[in-house]
This record gives sequence, structure tokens and C-alpha cells, in this order.
Amino acid sequence: FRLNIDGLLVYFPYDYIYPEQYSYMLELKRTLDAKGHGVLEMPSGTGKTISLLSLIVAYQRAFPLEVTKLIYCSRTVPEIEKVVEELRKLMQFYTKETGETNNFLALALSSRKNLCIHPEVSSLRFGKEVDGKCHSMTASYIRAQRHSNPSLPTCRFYEEFNVVGRQVPLPAGIYNLDDLKDYGRRKGHCPYYTARYAILHANIVVYSYHYLLDPKIADLVSKELAKKSVVVFDEAHNIDNVCIDSMSVNITRRTLDRCQTNVETLHNTIQQIKETDAAKLKEEYRRLVEGLKEANVARETDVYLANPVLPDEILKEAVPGTIRTAEHFVGFLRRFMEYLKSRLRVQHVVQESAPQFLKDIYEKVCIDRKPLRFCAERLQSLLRTLEITDIADFSAVTLISNFATLVSTYSQGLTVFIHTLEYLTGTCKNFFVMCVSVAPQTLSPLDIYPRMLDFRPVTMASFTMTLARTCLCPLIVGRGNDQVALSSKFETREDFAVIRNYGNLLLEMSAIVPDGIVAFFTSYVYMENIVASWYEQGILENIQRNKLIFIETPDAAETSMALEKYQEACENGRGAILLSVARGKVSEGIDFVHHFGRAVVMFGVPYVYTQSRILKARLEYLRDHFQIRENDFLTFDAMRHAAQCVGRAIRGKTDYGLMVFADKRYARADKRGKLPRWIQEHLSEGSLNLTVDECVHMAKHFLRQMAQPFRQEDQLGLSLLTLEQLQSEEMLQKITQMAHQS
Amino acid sequence: VMSAQSAFTMASLSEEVLLVVKKVRQKKQDGTLYLMAERIAWGPEGKDRFTVSHLYADIRCQKISPDGKAKIQLQLVLHTGESTTFHFANESTALKDREAAKELLQQLLPKFKKRANKELEEKNRMLQEDPVLFQLYKDLVVSQVISAEEFWANRLGSNNNADSAVSNNKQEVGISGAFLADIRPQTDGCNGLRYNLTADIIESIFRTYPAVKQKYSENVPHNLTEKEDRINTGSQDIFSECAKQDEMGLKSMVVQGVKNPLVDLLSLEDKSLDEGYGLSTPVPSTSNSHKTVKDSSNSAIIKRFNHHSAMVLAAGLRKGDAPADQASETSSTDGNSRDSDFFQPPVKKEAIEYEDLQRENRPKTVALNLKKSDRYAHGPVPLQSQQYTTSQDIINSVNYIQHEMTNYKPNLAQVLSSASASSAIAALSPGGVLMHGGAQQAINQMIPTEVQGELKHLYAAAGELLRHFWSCFPVNTPFLEEKVMKMKSNLEKFQMTKLRPFQEKVQRQYLSANLTGHLEEMLQSAYSKFQIWQNRRMMRKT
Repeated sequence: FRLNIDGLLVYFPYDYIYPEQYSYMLELKRTLDAKGHGVLEMPSGTGKTISLLSLIVAYQRAFPLEVTKLIYCSRTVPEIEKVVEELRKLMQFYTKETGETNNFLALALSSRKNLCIHPEVSSLRFGKEVDGKCHSMTASYIRAQRHSNPSLPTCRFYEEFNVVGRQVPLPAGIYNLDDLKDYGRRKGHCPYYTARYAILHANIVVYSYHYLLDPKIADLVSKELAKKSVVVFDEAHNIDNVCIDSMSVNITRRTLDRCQTNVETLHNTIQQIKETDAAKLKEEYRRLVEGLKEANVARETDVYLANPVLPDEILKEAVPGTIRTAEHFVGFLRRFMEYLKSRLRVQHVVQESAPQFLKDIYEKVCIDRKPLRFCAERLQSLLRTLEITDIADFSAVTLISNFATLVSTYSQGLTVFIHTLEYLTGTCKNFFVMCVSVAPQTLSPLDIYPRMLDFRPVTMASFTMTLARTCLCPLIVGRGNDQVALSSKFETREDFAVIRNYGNLLLEMSAIVPDGIVAFFTSYVYMENIVASWYEQGILENIQRNKLIFIETPDAAETSMALEKYQEACENGRGAILLSVARGKVSEGIDFVHHFGRAVVMFGVPYVYTQSRILKARLEYLRDHFQIRENDFLTFDAMRHAAQCVGRAIRGKTDYGLMVFADKRYARADKRGKLPRWIQEHLSEGSLNLTVDECVHMAKHFLRQMAQPFRQEDQLGLSLLTLEQLQSEEMLQKITQMAHQS
Repeated sequence: VMSAQSAFTMASLSEEVLLVVKKVRQKKQDGTLYLMAERIAWGPEGKDRFTVSHLYADIRCQKISPDGKAKIQLQLVLHTGESTTFHFANESTALKDREAAKELLQQLLPKFKKRANKELEEKNRMLQEDPVLFQLYKDLVVSQVISAEEFWANRLGSNNNADSAVSNNKQEVGISGAFLADIRPQTDGCNGLRYNLTADIIESIFRTYPAVKQKYSENVPHNLTEKEDRINTGSQDIFSECAKQDEMGLKSMVVQGVKNPLVDLLSLEDKSLDEGYGLSTPVPSTSNSHKTVKDSSNSAIIKRFNHHSAMVLAAGLRKGDAPADQASETSSTDGNSRDSDFFQPPVKKEAIEYEDLQRENRPKTVALNLKKSDRYAHGPVPLQSQQYTTSQDIINSVNYIQHEMTNYKPNLAQVLSSASASSAIAALSPGGVLMHGGAQQAINQMIPTEVQGELKHLYAAAGELLRHFWSCFPVNTPFLEEKVMKMKSNLEKFQMTKLRPFQEKVQRQYLSANLTGHLEEMLQSAYSKFQIWQNRRMMRKT
């Protein structure tokens, strides 16, 4: 139906609406009006995606000049596809209501692996292989070479796109990944490049975070996106980690060895070319003098992602003289490499800030900061000039030049580690975020995000779930039946009494919970140990009498299989238990809707491994620059992961599930207070320190209640509203109150 | 030699003696064991007749004592469940003797096994599947109220049709996930381990791990008895081979990948960070060797659990346990159930639906209307009398009675005799005949459960007999005539041997309630029916 959100006409493609959706749209509208950042938190399964899309599309239609583009960043491929499907639904509703076909263009963008339609290339299994193969057919210099040597392999889809596709824009409509592939097959165009080209004029783009946050990809894909865009980060609770991930580089002894051979190859090739085609090198030199701007031409198909995070002004500068000629540059690389090698010969861990590191380089091998900044760009220019076909071989030297550029460009917040284990890491803790305007599902306390990411939001709101029945039941189990305190803290981690009681808890739960149970452990090693001692004590055997057991392993393929079998076992009524790890892949990306997860048991508090040097540096940085105390951050981080894990079970208002926190530390106010509001609300005083038996008793009661039929009529007026109900004075008042609370 | 000779002559002359073993004790008596073409027999020393003789067809299996034991024994288990144990007592050659007998039996038994009555198996199966039937069988046949033939007479025939129809769409019973947990290894006295596998467990293993079954049928000769010799002969190689095959199965499962894109962790992430980027700390190759044995065994346990669960799941979905065709066998050995093809991954569209946001337009169903959902959730609660009378009602009735009493005039001419009056009072006072209403409820508490169970069995048995009896009417064939006579005597026998002792027992326990009244009534009506019939027949005859 149609809604009036603060003077804006919004089409909402459903017959009913949740009150929190309405409230959410109000907040979002306010954020857009203010043209600022916003952080909004909303529980999962309350339809945040559709409310967000409805509002922003309406906003775009109403003020086409204010907001030209919506960039929706999500985390996983299925998530991306889901968003596009919701959008399709919305657009169909628009067409039905207004009777006119609108000229909206919305599309999903993913890596080549998910979009390629070339028969040979797309059959490859790994993303990297697909990229490499694609590049070997479509790179600019390869295509140039083909003029002289037509026998080189070619991708007809790309050629077709290059000739025709650029002139014919993608017709308006909603394109999911499969739709893009269909379109590509029909027209004979390459879907990947079509999509990449089309995002420039698309109204809505849906893609992964990395296309925006990872400077190595972002520059290539997202550079030309207009300034007047709304950027949405969905499920942003891990956004800080994504940023750190994309700015980190690992260098090992092996990398350096491979780099050595790379440099030798470069050297030899240069010698050869010098003898045969000296003019080419001269031409390159000339270009470098003029600046790097030109180097951007015809680069889009090349796999060398652009210079990591090079600010624009650098591109306008000329490359410094010291590395302008090819031989000099190779020599420069060699010196830098030797320096790194010497640094790797350490007996203990060294931690340096970027300026310290640079100073050391200058003292030891007399390398200035400026040439280092151009290192990455210069290398790419050289590789292009030398027409080296197989770039995969040069990944080592590329990595090192990227590292050089990173370390010299970002002086603040970057730390260089040299480990005795023979690798070297550069990490960045801080990174600009353009405009965070959403709503991860679990993200509390909210104010830590703006501080951590260093931005000032205009709106910040946390929404809870209005429920007609309490469909979630958080319980904190602090004691075993023998009154042993349950905790995963370091001192009692190996305690058999604790492990036995944990086993007992799972065993009892497996007897009363129907279908699926998911159990999370704090770390993989911890899980391995517990599983082993449960096995020895015969607890697992007893659990097997009730349900099948599946366990997450470090191997993704194995885990996928276990997951599928787990779902199959839940589906056919046998019931299963999945043992999994907080911060693992399962906890991050897999939902356990309805009977796939009737209970989640969180064994212990999932603190991050605190002895990690990278974490220590990060904590220091946070403390020094943003006044976030270490303990605050650690608890915050642990609780967001715990919430993330238990939240996997509830995926909507018709769903229900138990959330068992098996650690007495959860009962403390500082931990409990950091859980999301929608969980905290249902955590009663009586369920803060239960024994296993009490927990089982409460769980039984809860499950019986929930198993009663739940109909729409039960929700109407409370957690589900019709248009009339929404427009009633009383309800509007309630909703505004709801928003104010946060 | 002499005794063997005499025994030989004593046995039917056509019988061929395959093996003679002397100094074999049975029930602490020395004697000689003979293995003939169709039976095994034993006669005590000095006597020229067999005191033990079993047809091979009657023997279900043989068992031997473990190697370490002092006594060297061989046990024969019959289909009826009885068993006979022979002790080989010849000090020097006891082991050799036993082995010889065992070997020969191993060759002989399967030949007869195949011939073994198919019907017997069918009966066995029925008894195993139906505990009530089994109880009846025990009550009627084992205690020799009716003969086995009579018992099965109209059961096999009629049940066959119904049964096959049922079994056609009967749901395949899955496998317990914990069947391996039921194996309790025991030490065999020499610090070795013995695994006792029951037939159920073996079947579970075979269904779950087809590789083991295949190996089993390849390597274990059919004449070995399953119970003992699997572990004895199944050498380490076979199992390690099976393990290898399973490992392959696991790998192929992993390689096949998953069909549901929502759980495919490999394609979940949409980034391709190159090697060397990202925070993932590369594991230096040196640390691999530091991995302790314990760690790797831990991860092996985890792998096994995943594999085991997958196999159990697949076995549950596999159709039947008969290796119908080779193709199905091979396709299912990898643990991927064929049914998983039908397991539809949730469609993308479905994943975004909010069912409660849409108007419901599915057909209206009748919802369970619970008046007291509490009772539904907690099970039945004893009802408390909730009849409620208002105070006005009470006052009215008191007034009414008062009014009646004032007008009451005893009619002394029509009073009851004092005897009947006192008996009426007795009947109406607590414990009296008419006041049983309240006590009736407690009958199930009054009577011990053991007696209750016995009564149930009696009812079942009597019902079965009466069914046989009544099914003879109308008696229009000589066969039925004969049967009805027999059934009558069976009923009487039942009353004598079963019902009477029970009644006495009940009396001995001073249970006042008349528990068997109804049973007697039923028998009585059967007798009277029989009487009428017999009278009529007599009249017709005369």
C-alpha cells in the first residue's frame, strides 16, 4: 500500500506492515534529508531491506537530483541476490500501482566467477582461476598483440561487448546475476563487463562491500560513481574488520624468494627489449614524465588493480626520476627487496609504526618515501610495457610494490610487524568510510561504531522487534546441576567438571528440542578439545541417540557438506546438532530459519584471541586516537559475535527459538548491556543464572507454548498493522515513542 | 571303535557318518559325538543310543569358546532357542577335535539353512514384529494350551494378504544414530577386547557402511557364524580397506559440493583477495610438524562424526536393504543419498518472503480449538468436581427438606423387614456394594501392576481362544465340527491351567475385587453355546 512518510509518498509492496518498519523509514528519511551519516540497528527478520528499498526508491523518484544512485553493499552472494529479488518485487508493485513502466535500472555486480558465461572459463571452480583465464584473453595488450598474431585465444563475448555493448546501454529493469547472464547469452555480450559498464548509469547497484571498501578493487569498479549517491552497508557489524582486511599485506620469506625470481625475469626482459626495441622503453619514459594520468587509458580489463589507495593528486604528479627508467626501477626494487629480507632475519617480534619503518629504510638503503609511493604504479606501467602475458607469475612483486605504496602513503594507524615466523605484516587500522547509512542486524552499543570508524552520524537509532508473542527465549546458564560455575574463561577452560556440564547441557537440550540445534564454541581449538573429551566421556554417544551430530571443520567444502546434511536431517524429522565456531564461516553467513535452528547454545564468551599482536596494536590505536578503552572494545567485540551467533536462529516474527548463553559471565551487567536491545528486552531477571535443569525446564515450557498455532490475527494490531491501524492517532504516537527511546 | 561301530549299526543304516569325535562331554557325561549327513548326535559312553540328536536344519548357529579359555567347547543354538554344549575333553587333541567339528559344521549348516523352512522365518518375523502376538504365542503354544499348528492355522493365511499390503507401503525404519554406542567392548581376560555385535547392530553397520557389507560378503564365508567369527577372521586389512573406501566416499562427497547455494560456504564470499593480502595469517609450513598427534586425532574424530552422520542419514533414505541392483549399490556407497536429489534447496524467492506481511489466501483449515491450552501442554490433570451450587440453592433445598420432614408420617404397615433394611444400610455405607462408585477409580491403584499385566495377558489369550471357538460357527463341515470340539476342550484347559491359578493367586493376595468375573462369563457363554450346539447335534443324530 501507499504510505506517507513525513511528506513522502512511499509504495510498500505488502498488505501489512510492522510498526518498526514504519519507524525505520521515518528515521531513514530524516537521515536522507539531513544528507548525513546514519547508523540504524534493527533486528533481523523485521524486513529492513524492503523498508529501506521502498523508502530510497521513493526518495529517488521524488528528488531525482538529490539522490542519483543507491549503492547497496551486502556481504555474501546469496544476500546480494536476495536484495535484488526484493527490489524486483517492489518494482513490480510500482508497475501495478502506477500502471506505468518506470525506467529504473538496477543490477547486481559480482566477481567474474559468478558472472562469466564463457564455456571454458566459467567451468573453472575457483575465483582466482577464472580471473586469470579471463585476463589472459581480454587484457589490453593481449588484444593488441592479436592484431599481429591472430592465433591468440579470444573471448568472443568480450569482443562483442567491446564493439557493440558500449553503445547499447542495458535496458531498464532489474537484473540479478542470473538475469545478467541470460542477457549476456542472448546478446552475446560479456555479462561481467556489461554490468561493470552499466553501474555507471544504473539507479541502483547491489554489490559486495569489497567493491567499495577494498581500495585495490574500489578504484577499478567504483571510482566513477557519482557523488550524490546513497551508500548502504547492510550487516555492517563487521565493517571494521573488512576495512582492516582489505588494507593488510602479508609478506613471507617465500614471497620474497618468488619476488627475487620475478625481478630477475624483469631484468632479463628489459635487457632483451633494449636490444630489440629500445624505442618502447623510451616511449614509456616519456609517458612517465608526463604523469600517470594517461596510464589509465584502456586499463579496465587489466588485472592489475589500480594503485592501492593512491590519492588523486599523486596521479597528477610525475613519477620521480629515480625510478623512471626501467633499469633503475628494477634496481630500486632489488634494493627494497634485499632490505625486506634483511628485516626478516630477526629473532624476535618487532613492531614499528609506518614512519619508523620508512625512516629505517632511508637509513639502511637510502630509499626515499616518494619513490616508494609510486612503486605500485610504476611496476604496472613496466609490466604493461614489457607485454608480459602471464601476470599471475608476478603476483609476488606486485604484492611487494603494493606494500611499499601502502606503507608510504598512510602514515597514521599503519603498523608494520616483523614476526620471527618469517613473515611481515602491514596493517591499517583506520580507513575512511564514505557514508554508512545502515543497519546491520546486530550492532550494539551503537555509539562505538561512529567512534571506531571516526565519523559523525546525524541519526543513530536502534529498533526492537514488536512481538505479539515472545518468540525468543534467551537463557543464561551459569551453573551445572552440581553447582559448578560454567565458564569458558582461561582458568577453568580445561576443567573437566565444566566440560562435562557443558556436555550435559547439550545432551539435555538434544532430548527436548525438536529438529535442529546449533551450538557455538569460542574458538576452533576449544571446540576440538571439548569434542575430544566429550567423545572420551561417552557424551557424544548419548547425544547421538537423540540427534545426528555435524561439526564445522576448517575446510569450507567439508563444512558446506556437513551443513547440507544437517539441513537434510532437520528436514526429514530426524533432527541434528551442528557444532560450530563463533567468528567462523557458519556464524557469519548461514541463517538457521525455523526448524533449522530451534535452539542456539553459545558455549562461553567468544572473546577474540587477545595475544594476537595485530589486535594489540589495534587496541592501542583505538585507545590513543579514539579514547575507546581496551576492555570496552573487547567486550563489545565478544558480545557482537555472541549476538551474531544466537541471532542466527530467529529470522522473523513467525520464527521462534531458544538462545542459551552458557557462561556465567553473561549475567554481568557489562556483558548483558552490550547485547542488542531486542535480546536484552526478553532477558528476565529470573533467567540470569540458571542451572542446567532449570534451563531445560524453562526451555520445555517455552517450546510447548511456541508450538501452538500462530495466526495472522494474533499479530494484527500489535506487531502487524494494516494501513488503517497505522494511520490511527494512537498507533502513530506509539511509533514515534518507539523511535525516541533509542 | 567298538562303540562307534555299534552306534553306527544302531543308527539307521542308510545314514553316513562323516565324523566321529571321542571324549566329548555333554552335561558332565563322557561320550562320543557323531556328525552324520543330516544330523549331529551324541551318545554317552558305553550306551548304544543317542541321547542328543539334532537335525542340521534345526540348528541356527554354532558358537565356540574363545581361544584362551580352559574349556574347549562348542555350542549349538537351535531355532527354538535351546542350545546344547559339547565339551571336548581329550586333553591332547581337544582343540583339533573341536576345529574339525567346527569346520565340518561350517560346511554343512548353510546347505540346510537354505532349505530351512521359509514359513518358519515368516513366523519368526511375525513374532518379532508383534509383541502382543508373541505374548499370545507364549501363553497358548509354549504352555501347550493349543498346538503351534492351530495357533498359526488361520493367522498365516489371513495375515499374509493384509501384511504384504501393509509392508508394501510400510515406512522403512531408519537407523539409530548411536548404534555404535551400543557396542560395549569387554575384555576377554587376556587384555584383549571383545566386541559383541548383535544382529541388529550388524544390520545397522551393513546398511550404514555398504563398503563393510561388501567386504564382508567377499571375505567371510557364509558358513561362519556371524556372532563370533567376524572379529576372529576379519583381519586388520579388511577393515583398513573399508576405512580407506569410506575416506574416498567422504572425499567424493566433499568434491561433489552442495546443491543449496545458501549453504555453500565456498561461493558465499564475494571477494578475491589475492594471496598475501588480508589478515589471514599464513600458517608457516614448519608448524605442521609441530602438530601433535593429539590434535590430528581430534580432527580425525570430528571428520568421522561428520561422515558417520552423513552415512546414517543416507542409509535411512536408501530404499530397503536389499541390494536390488548394482547401480544403486554403487551410487549409494558414497553416502550421498539418492533422495537428496529431491531435496529442493529453498528458492531465492522463497527466502525473501514475509509470509505474515501478506494477506493469507491459502485454504482455510480447521484449527485445533483448545479450551484449556494448559492441559494440552501439561497433559491430563485429575478432574476436580466443579459442581457449583449457589447458597440460595442450598437454602432452598434445606427449606424443602424441612418442609417434607414436618409433613412426614411413617406408614408402619409398609416398612421393610429389619434384615433387608440393615443390608440396604450396609450396601449404602462406605465399602458397601452400592458405594463402589467412588472406589472404582482406585482399582488400578489397588491392584499391583504385575497382576494387571497378567490379567491383560489372560484377556488376550482368552480372546484369541474364543475367537477360534466362535469362528467355528456355524458348524457345517466335519472339519469345523472337529475343531469346535477341540476348541471347547482348549477353553476348558485354559480355564484349568491359566485362569484357576490366577484366581487362586488373586485370592491369596486378598484382593477383594472380582477380577476374573467377566472372563468367566465369557467362557461360560461359550460353553453354553457349545452345549446348545451339542444338544442339537445329539437330537439330529438320534
